[in-house]
Amino acid sequence: MDSDRRGQWLRGVLDLCVLALLRDGESYGYQLAQSLDAVGVGPIQGGTLYPVLLRLQRTGLVTARWREGDSGPARKYYQLTDDGRAALRHGGNAWLAFVAPVTSIVTKGVDG
Amino acid sequence: MNRLVTVAEMTLRELARRRGVILLLLLMPLTFWLIRRDSYVGQSVRALLLGISWAVSTAALFATSAARELEPRLRLAGYRPHHLYIGRMLGLWALGLAIAVPFFLLTVVDANNLRYGGIAVAMLCCVAVAAPFGMLIGALLPRELEGTLLLLTVVAMQMLLDPADAGAKLTPFWSSREIATWAVDHTDDGYLTRGFLHGMVVTVLLIVTVAGVFAVRLRRRRHLHHVPIA
Amino acid sequence: MNTDDWLRAFAAELYQRRVGRDAARHVVAEAATHLREGGGDPWLVFGSPQAYAAAIVESIGTAPGPRPGPVRLHARGITKRYGRQVVLRDASLTVRAGQIAAVVGANGCGKSTFLRICAGLVSPDAGEVTVSGRLGYCPQQGGTADFLLPDEHFVLVGAAQGVPRGPARRAGRAAARDLGWDAESAVLARHLSGGTRQKLNLTMSTLTQPDVLLLDEPYQGFDQGSYVNLWDQLTRLRDEGRAIVVVTHLLNQLDRVDLVLDLTPAHQGGRS
Repeated sequence: MDSDRRGQWLRGVLDLCVLALLRDGESYGYQLAQSLDAVGVGPIQGGTLYPVLLRLQRTGLVTARWREGDSGPARKYYQLTDDGRAALRHGGNAWLAFVAPVTSIVTKGVDG
Repeated sequence: MNRLVTVAEMTLRELARRRGVILLLLLMPLTFWLIRRDSYVGQSVRALLLGISWAVSTAALFATSAARELEPRLRLAGYRPHHLYIGRMLGLWALGLAIAVPFFLLTVVDANNLRYGGIAVAMLCCVAVAAPFGMLIGALLPRELEGTLLLLTVVAMQMLLDPADAGAKLTPFWSSREIATWAVDHTDDGYLTRGFLHGMVVTVLLIVTVAGVFAVRLRRRRHLHHVPIA
Repeated sequence: MNTDDWLRAFAAELYQRRVGRDAARHVVAEAATHLREGGGDPWLVFGSPQAYAAAIVESIGTAPGPRPGPVRLHARGITKRYGRQVVLRDASLTVRAGQIAAVVGANGCGKSTFLRICAGLVSPDAGEVTVSGRLGYCPQQGGTADFLLPDEHFVLVGAAQGVPRGPARRAGRAAARDLGWDAESAVLARHLSGGTRQKLNLTMSTLTQPDVLLLDEPYQGFDQGSYVNLWDQLTRLRDEGRAIVVVTHLLNQLDRVDLVLDLTPAHQGGRS
């Protein structure tokens, strides 16, 4: 039940996570997946991540270009656009406004 | 112009590759010549001219039959009917000249006391008439065999009819026979003029008929409306 | 199924779902890069090729293949009798730019006749056909010159549009390659196998860049690979905005066509 529920949460917030990660500079799919795993969000499969990236690209929140990496093959690097920055601010605030009461309620429940 | 030349060229290429057929076609005038050679030069010249007419018209018949399925789609591809039949005719005339030249040289080398200019004109008449004649038969008769038999009949009739006979003038290759008489028997110039005129008229008539047949066969059908894309 | 097989299947799925060629290439390349860097079983990382392709289509919008354009072929009320026998009764078909229509039906139900009427090679007893733009027609057989080389066919067809020899030859060979045929060899058409000659036939009909392409069972003598190439080629032409009509008695490709006209008697008229 845990991974199932986590998956549902992720679906709602993965785009925000990706936008947030791209705030500090461009990145590519595999690196983004590793970063998400490293901060503890958990393993994200390509089949989940890339459709999100493509949707962000299509709506103009990120741009992408193919570039040779320092080592290894050419990768598709994503950058945040101004629209993406605005969407991150907006969506991030909305998320925080959402999770704060949720956390407070759930905390009471868990503690009690 | 380019379209005409391309059709003519492809006609020539196709025929040039039918080596077996071409050799057999050349065999006929040659044997005609050789068989009659010892007896009377006039006979052998006439037979030679008929042989050339036969060879060129049969080649025209084959070329036309072979293109029967191809032509409608070339029409769709953007050729007009006259590109197709005039182009093919040009190719056949070129082939006819290529066939006639060596035979003309044969008469020059092998026979004396001829009006060689007359022989040349007679051969030109043969070639001029034979190409559209063979094409017409090829266009009207659906199969090569039937066309070949019809051609054979015409050539045989031409050989057997008395040229002085009024009906003989209705045969397509009468011109060459008349001119040959002038060239061989040194008759008066009337033979040359009559023959030449006959050759011209028959050629023009055949071209017009071929044009008509092709225009009908490759016509734009009434039920089909073409609209350009805006 | 190893990684390469998975990627191939995925690419085919994207193509089937009419994802744009460039977009599909990028998505496949990105998946390949990801798998190379992270390793792992593509079935676990991305799921099945079908499911992932569906997810991609959902992300980058509905299939970006061109929507059907203006009407290119409009045949209405086509009736044809041979003697007393009515071969076609009031058959109608409308095909737009970017559509493939299949004409199906039992043997002898007038499929080829219908196509020949659309091509203007046969007159109907009633009915009219309107064609917008250039018309291309590929007969069931014949239509090639026995004693010419493939290159000479291309030159002959090209000259109809004033295309010079060099470009006509190149265009013909390129179109032949799309059907998996190397047309450079100097073999007369009469020495080509049935299937290869049919490829020549087909190449000739696409060479003039027709807006409306009429094909009469164009796959006679094809092996399985050529058959697949043919349908890929037709899909490509469709996506370029051509209107295509294929006469066929094979029904297993009908999922790849946009319209079906069934000429079987008592069941006439188009349905989509």
